[in-house]
Order: sequence, then C-alpha cells, then structure tokens
Amino acid sequence: MGRYAIRRLLQLIPVLLGTTFLINYMVWQLPGDPFAARCGQRPCPDAYINAMRAEFGLDQPIIVQYWHFLKNLLTGDLGVNFNNVSVASQLAESWPITVRLGLMAVAIEAVIGIVAGVLSGLKRGGFLDNVITISTLILLSLPVFVTGFLLQWLLGVQLDLIKPTVSDGAPFVELIVPAFVLASLNLAFTARLTRTSIIENRRSDYVRTAIAKGLSNRRVVGVHLLRNSLIPALTFIGTEVGSLMSGAIITEGIYNINGIGGLLWRAVNDHDFTIVVPIASLLVLVYLLANLLVDLLYGVLDPRIRYE
Amino acid sequence: MTEVLPESKSSNGTYGGALLEVDNLHVEFHTRAGVAKAVNGVTYSVNAGETLAVLGESGSGKSVTAQTIMGILDMPPGKIANGEIRFRGTDLLKLPEEERRKVRGEGIAMIFQDALSALNPVFPVGWQIAEMFRIHRGMSRADAKKKAIELMDRVRIPAAKERVSDYPHQFSGGMRQRIMIAMSIALDPEVLIADEPTTALDVTVQAQIMELLAELQRESNMGLILITHDLGVVADVADKIAVMYGGRIVENAEVHDLYRNPAHPYAKGLLESIPRVDLKGQELYAIKGMPPNLLDMPTGCAFHPRCPYRQEKCVTDVPPLHTISGTRGSACHFWREVLDGDAQ
Repeated sequence: MGRYAIRRLLQLIPVLLGTTFLINYMVWQLPGDPFAARCGQRPCPDAYINAMRAEFGLDQPIIVQYWHFLKNLLTGDLGVNFNNVSVASQLAESWPITVRLGLMAVAIEAVIGIVAGVLSGLKRGGFLDNVITISTLILLSLPVFVTGFLLQWLLGVQLDLIKPTVSDGAPFVELIVPAFVLASLNLAFTARLTRTSIIENRRSDYVRTAIAKGLSNRRVVGVHLLRNSLIPALTFIGTEVGSLMSGAIITEGIYNINGIGGLLWRAVNDHDFTIVVPIASLLVLVYLLANLLVDLLYGVLDPRIRYE
Repeated sequence: MTEVLPESKSSNGTYGGALLEVDNLHVEFHTRAGVAKAVNGVTYSVNAGETLAVLGESGSGKSVTAQTIMGILDMPPGKIANGEIRFRGTDLLKLPEEERRKVRGEGIAMIFQDALSALNPVFPVGWQIAEMFRIHRGMSRADAKKKAIELMDRVRIPAAKERVSDYPHQFSGGMRQRIMIAMSIALDPEVLIADEPTTALDVTVQAQIMELLAELQRESNMGLILITHDLGVVADVADKIAVMYGGRIVENAEVHDLYRNPAHPYAKGLLESIPRVDLKGQELYAIKGMPPNLLDMPTGCAFHPRCPYRQEKCVTDVPPLHTISGTRGSACHFWREVLDGDAQ
C-alpha cells in the first residue's frame, strides 16, 4: 500500500509537467495581445507594449518562459501580475474561500446524497423513493447556473431568507446555499448511484447470509449492506472533485464570492497569464491528488482490489 | 450453552414430536406473469443426529422450503400461503420477528451453495465468524476472535491463526465453504441446513466437505437437512430421503430402501440416470422432457408428461402421498407397479 502510494505520487510528476506546459502554451493561443488594450480608448504605444513584454519575458521562446515558470514555482515566487500586485497574495486570499466552498459542497453531496440514496433504495417504489427519484431528476436536468439563479431569486430576493450575494470573507452560514448549488448535480448523481447499489446488493447472497446469522435488520443494513453499497458512491464523489472545482467558478460568479473562480474569470478576460497559469496548474494538482486519494480509499473499502 | 431458544408451548409442557417439522407448507411467488406455486404442501421432519436429504432438480422447491424455514425468503414476491414450521414444537411462522431472529444461528443455521458470494467480500473471514459471538453472546472483539480461530481450526483450515484476518477472495473454494461451515456451527445450532453445499466444488473437495459435515454432526448431534440434486452425495451420509418434484414431496424413504427399490417413477428415473461402470458404452438414461413450469403446472400429477407409467388417471387426479410402509411414502397412483419394476 505504501509503495503503491509512493509510485503513484512519482507518476504525478510527468503528468504535472505535461499539463503545466500545455497550460503555459495555450494561454498564448488566446487571440489578442494582453498589453495592446490597456490604454483606455486609444491603442497603446509600441514602446509600452515592448517594455511590458520584456518585463514579463514574453519576448522569449515558450520553452524559456516555461523554464522560468518552473523555477519560480519551485522557489515559491509567483511574482506580480500585470497590475503589479503580488500573485501569491491574491491566491492566498481567494484560495481558502474556494476550498471552503468546495469542501462544504462535497460534505453536502456525500451526506445528503448517500442518505437519500439509502432511504430510497431500501424502500424501493415507496413514497419517499418516488419523491427522491423525481427531485434528483429535476436537479440532474437543471444546469448549475439555473439552480444558482433560481435559489438566489427565490430564497434571496423573494423570500429574503438569505443574502442574495455573499459578503467579504465568505462566512460559513452564507456559503450554505452556494455550496448546495455547487453540489446539486453531483448530489443527485450520488443519490441515484447509492440507490441502485443498495437495490442491487440487498438481494445479494451475503446479505441473505447476514440475515441467516440472526443479525438485527439494523446491523444487516448498517454494516453488511452499507459498506458494500458505498463503494461506487465514494468513488464517484472523489473523482468528481475536479469537476466541482470548475463548477465553483460559475457558482462564485452568481453569488459574488471572492474565490479563485472570480479571480480566474477576471484574469482570463485580461489575458493575465500570471494569474491564469498558477490557478489552472493548482486545479490540475487538486484533480490529480483527489484521484489518487480515491484510488487509495478504494483499496481500503474493497479488499479485493487492495494493492500489494 | 445458554438456553435462549423458545420452549415448547404444547399443553402438557413436554414435546414428543421431531426436532424440526415442516407441516403442509405452501409457498407462492406472486409475479407479474402470475402466481408461481413453488412449494405445494411439503411435509418433512428431522430429529437430532439425523440426516435428511432433500433431493430434487432446480425449481422443485427444495431451496425455497429451506429458505422458509430460515426465514430468509424474499417476501414479497414470496408468500407463505399455508402450513407450519415447528421447531421444538413452536411454530416459527407465528413467532414475532425478534424471537425468530434468535432462532437463526442459535437454533437453526444454514450454509449455502456458493460460499464466495455468501460471505461478505469486504470483511475478514475471522471477523465474520466472530460476529456470531459478538452479537449473539455479547463477547468482546478479542474473545470472539479467539473463538473464531478455534472454529477455523475445528473445520481444519490450515494456519487458522495467520489466516483469520484474510478476506474471502483469498481462500480456495473448499476453504471458503469450510469458513461458511465454521460460521454456521459457531453457536452449536440444533439443526443445520446445507443448501447444495458441495455443488460449486470439485469432486475431491466435495468428499472432504461431506466428511467434515458428517463428523461435525456426530460430535454435536445436530439434525442435518442436506439439500442436493446429487444422488452420489446422498447415499453415504443421509438417513432418509425426501424426493421433491414440482413443489411436492413425491417419495419419502429410508436411504437404503430408495436406492434398492424406488417407489416413484421420478426417483426411479433419477437413479437410472446415474452413470454406472458396468453399463459403460451404453447410452445413459435420461428422464425425458423438461421440469414443469411453476406458472403453468400440469394437471393431475405434475410428473405425468414425463412419466413412463402414465395412465389417464394421472392427467386428472393429483396423487396423494400413499403410505407404503411405516415412514415410506410415494405420491404415485401406480407405486405398486413402480416397486415391482415392470416399467414401460
């Protein structure tokens, strides 16, 4: 298990190198010059553009630029952005907010999704099952931005239960509704996966054995059935952490949360690669680590695929 | 051993009947295609130290009867339409679920055909055996684990101490069935139901498992219900046989009587379809036709479409279980002819 984890961690290095290079390369495939449009109504003078290009190293070949990026990354110096503000400080401000939002979303989708899935799977065809199946279908068919605007309008504007937008510092209570919005799609999927898995495993031989052993219904379901049925749901939740991060950009936009989503959005519009590249790289890293974690967790949950 | 089993509730306080009695049991499955009558009035019994073999092909109702005894039948679609299952005189079907649960594992235990799927894949085998002691006897984890190792030793799993933390998929088929057996005998049940315990195993392992079961039975004087479709397995270990066909018992007999001279055409057909060395080279006998469709049972005797002794009466009248002598019975209108052997 330990060796496996180390091997997997080492495998991350080439993947990270490849993806960060692609990110560096591709920001330059965006149309337009980042400095040409920074002088208000009139075109910028060539002297200014050239000076800025030289300052940020854009006059050098892409390989050299990439080398500088790596060197800066390893020394922890992310430099300043085009407006001369420290990149690291901007990331440090916005990153924790997005992480908080993301973790809350994962918690919501795991808890509500699994509980709903178990309840509906155990009483298949019952009233609760129908309610859950229909409501997850609604969530699945709505894009995140629709759910987001809808709840903002309904809870924030019409009913005045929440603040329509999140205040600075993003306090926990105000993040609940945005986190639910962010989690909604995955929540519905988790509930359905768990439901299917419960229904399938309920008729399995080992559950029959557990009943024949004279165990209480609670123990049969809570220990024998649940442990097996959670495997697909947890795998799904883990692998979808990456997509949750990209969904965060939309959710942060709707609720005006100052996380990396907003930062990234503004940076892309400004062609400010000094921000885009580190954030995109960070997202790649999160995605890779989440996947690694899922693979390791999978082995813990299911001994049949435990790594030697 | 602590006595937690329900005591006999008969009026005189003592119970003279058999340890476990299935009495006129009817089980139906309600499906969209109609009502499948899987068990139609099955009656059998087993005493302490006795082995009853229940013989029959797939769909004959032998496993459904066993599952009903254990209370692990899927209901719905299953439904117990009629009958009693008396364990030490108490009708299990009338017991509240909580008391029924205490009988499972303590009083009656069961082992299944496919031990790989019957054991939980995500828990160590020792944990699964120890669970019996922890839940039923309230033992600590450490004590229960010790007991689990003892049991694994008792069913002769090599290096039990080292293997107690292994998972089911790390064992061979025969070893897995031994673990299943260890789990089932953990609480010294009075009746053990073995539902095709050796069907998924190869022949040499089959013999070992049957030997183990016979030995454990001798040691603890359990009643054993052995469900099988394999006549070869039955001959060595069983005391009496109930042959099932289409949800009914068609012949009840002591093992030797049945093998010497079957009294039902189906039992006779089964015996004749066993390959024999002295008939090598000749075509093997096979019972013609297909097992009956439970949704659309033949009229009269369920076996009549396949029966070489068929007469008009068989198509119209359901044969009762005729008593031949003592406990021996045959559900055939023409059991005398079958016994005399003038077939076809």
